[in-house]
Amino acid sequence: MSDDVVDVLIIGAGASGAAVAWSLAETRMRVVCLEQGDWTRPSDYPTNAANWESQAHGPYHIDPNVRGLEADYPINNDDSEVIVVNFNGVGGSTILYGAHFPRLHPSDFKVKSLDGVADDWPIDYDTLEPFFEQNDQIMGVSGLAGDPMYPPKDPPLPPIAMGLVGETAARGFNALGWHWWPSDSAIISQPYDGRDRCVFLGPCLSGCAQGGKSSTDITYWPKAIRRGVELRTRCRVREVTVNDQGFADGVVYYDENGDECLQRAEIVIMACNGVGTPRILLNSKSNSFPDGLANRSGLVGKNLMFHGFGYVQGLFEERLDGHKGPQACSILSKQFYETDPSRGFVRGYNMQISRGSGPLNTAMAGYMDGSIPWGPEHHDAFRKRFDHTFAIGIVGEDLPEEHNTVTLDPKLVDSSGIPAPKITYTYSENSRKLIDHGLARGEEVMRAAGAKEVMSAGPLRPTGWHLLGTARMGDAPEKSVVNRWGRSHDVKNLFIVDGSIFVTSGGVNPASTIQACALYIADSIKKNLTNLFD
Amino acid sequence: MSSETSGPFLAEPMKRLLTALLDTLIPASPDGKMPSAAEVGFEAYLHTQAHEYISALEDVLQSFDSNFSDLPPNRRHELLEHFSKDRPAEFSSLLARVYDCYYQDNRVRGEIGVVQGAPFPQGNDVAQGDLSLLDPVMENRDRYRYRSP
Repeated sequence: MSDDVVDVLIIGAGASGAAVAWSLAETRMRVVCLEQGDWTRPSDYPTNAANWESQAHGPYHIDPNVRGLEADYPINNDDSEVIVVNFNGVGGSTILYGAHFPRLHPSDFKVKSLDGVADDWPIDYDTLEPFFEQNDQIMGVSGLAGDPMYPPKDPPLPPIAMGLVGETAARGFNALGWHWWPSDSAIISQPYDGRDRCVFLGPCLSGCAQGGKSSTDITYWPKAIRRGVELRTRCRVREVTVNDQGFADGVVYYDENGDECLQRAEIVIMACNGVGTPRILLNSKSNSFPDGLANRSGLVGKNLMFHGFGYVQGLFEERLDGHKGPQACSILSKQFYETDPSRGFVRGYNMQISRGSGPLNTAMAGYMDGSIPWGPEHHDAFRKRFDHTFAIGIVGEDLPEEHNTVTLDPKLVDSSGIPAPKITYTYSENSRKLIDHGLARGEEVMRAAGAKEVMSAGPLRPTGWHLLGTARMGDAPEKSVVNRWGRSHDVKNLFIVDGSIFVTSGGVNPASTIQACALYIADSIKKNLTNLFD
Repeated sequence: MSSETSGPFLAEPMKRLLTALLDTLIPASPDGKMPSAAEVGFEAYLHTQAHEYISALEDVLQSFDSNFSDLPPNRRHELLEHFSKDRPAEFSSLLARVYDCYYQDNRVRGEIGVVQGAPFPQGNDVAQGDLSLLDPVMENRDRYRYRSP
């Protein structure tokens, strides 16, 4: 194996790894991807069984420390106000994501210029626009053209049914004169590209048995493999190696039998997202890079951003059928997305309407908060709440701060003996003010929509889906890890294509923008092949 | 609920106690439409879906006197209330299993308007929603319009 040199070696088969693999495959270079997890089988997803709600707390739990599968690595969250959630396998976290699929806004790339905080990205919305479009086509995105909050865009499929939940929330927004729009969703509302449409099973967050949700194992990967990409599963990378000239020359990984292997490569691409990528880079120490690979700036693992997340729940007299349909995708509001200095904080947030829970989760949540007792009162209380609620998620911009980090835990290791990541993270005052503002506005919407009871909570801890900023993009090598097209400043054949490269987080779910960045970087590689390492 | 089971695992006194406990946690509704938690095959559920919980359940049952099942419902409720406060983690774990079993039952699901059995492949019907509700947003689109930074 050690004499076998591939042209491109991608580490990670999730949202970004799949996109970059598909794009580079057309070059006819030999592209290999190593993924520490395995293929998931839709027939194994919890929605194949009546006990889907309890199964979602098992092998498809969003927290890898709870899930504890062979493919997972432990994460030390003890010093973090947010718990990291993810999935390790072909498709990565798109297997369990909600598929709420907004793009970053044009303003998100210019926060220094507009608001005097953090840094501008070296690229802008217009740079990514063709790749957003391309990604929407490959993934299969449903939505409605004409949202005045965005430059023109035209999703390939009509919007996902917003249902009674969406209509009710929309009436609330209208009563207040606030913006709302059907969500862009990586869920197909009609048969598309050989896949059948969403049938509103409900629990997208434990895998989609129908295949209506656009996870990359069923979108990009089949196409990439048909184009000749080799995807090796159950291969856990320990470190990226470098040669005497300071170029990455391959990786050391453990294969499915636990055997240590070396895979050499001309180009190495990191696609493990904002925790996995810095973990491997920091574990790739050498004489040339004693502080970790591509880390001469000292910024690998720093500036970790999540999104502050809170939610507001409303209880309604009428039945809303909230257990039906994609939990995370109905409508959204960008009324408070852009900075307004009068609010006392900078940047803003997305208000994301979420549908209700299934019966088990409703009953248990009702027990925990005292609203649904066990005993003779159970049936009445349950009937008043089940399918009578929906929630507004407040997803707020999280600005970069160097003290929020991913480092290597000095003691904790995974099953291969590789150091586990340790997360150190605190919310900024700006993030807290922003979430507080969002919760108060969410309560207004609920009341305007007719809710008879409203409760809110946040910021919440087990919400670390969005792992951003730990290998940031920039033009200055001393202030960033990769350049404007994802190439390491320090290692000219090492690229990063995942959420690590985000300069700022925006206030929306990042999957769409992560994939657009991956496609843009792949395109830049293709355009610069003749002088790629100059 | 699957009828697959390896047979009863509790001796008769414990079985009576479990039945009384389930009846207390979720009694049948007064109109008879909703069954008691003792009527939805909890033993079969334990064997097929929650086998790992059986020994913990036996510990819970040991916490109650054998005459628990002979007590009137309000007294049983009081005793369970005490148990829930004294041993909240064990009670919560018990309740999660009881609810998990209960809300898989097809009679129960029918009554609360949930598709019977697994969600897949049947799925659900969801109203598209009235997109004319967007008219006020569109009428005020200049107020919202994206401005190039």
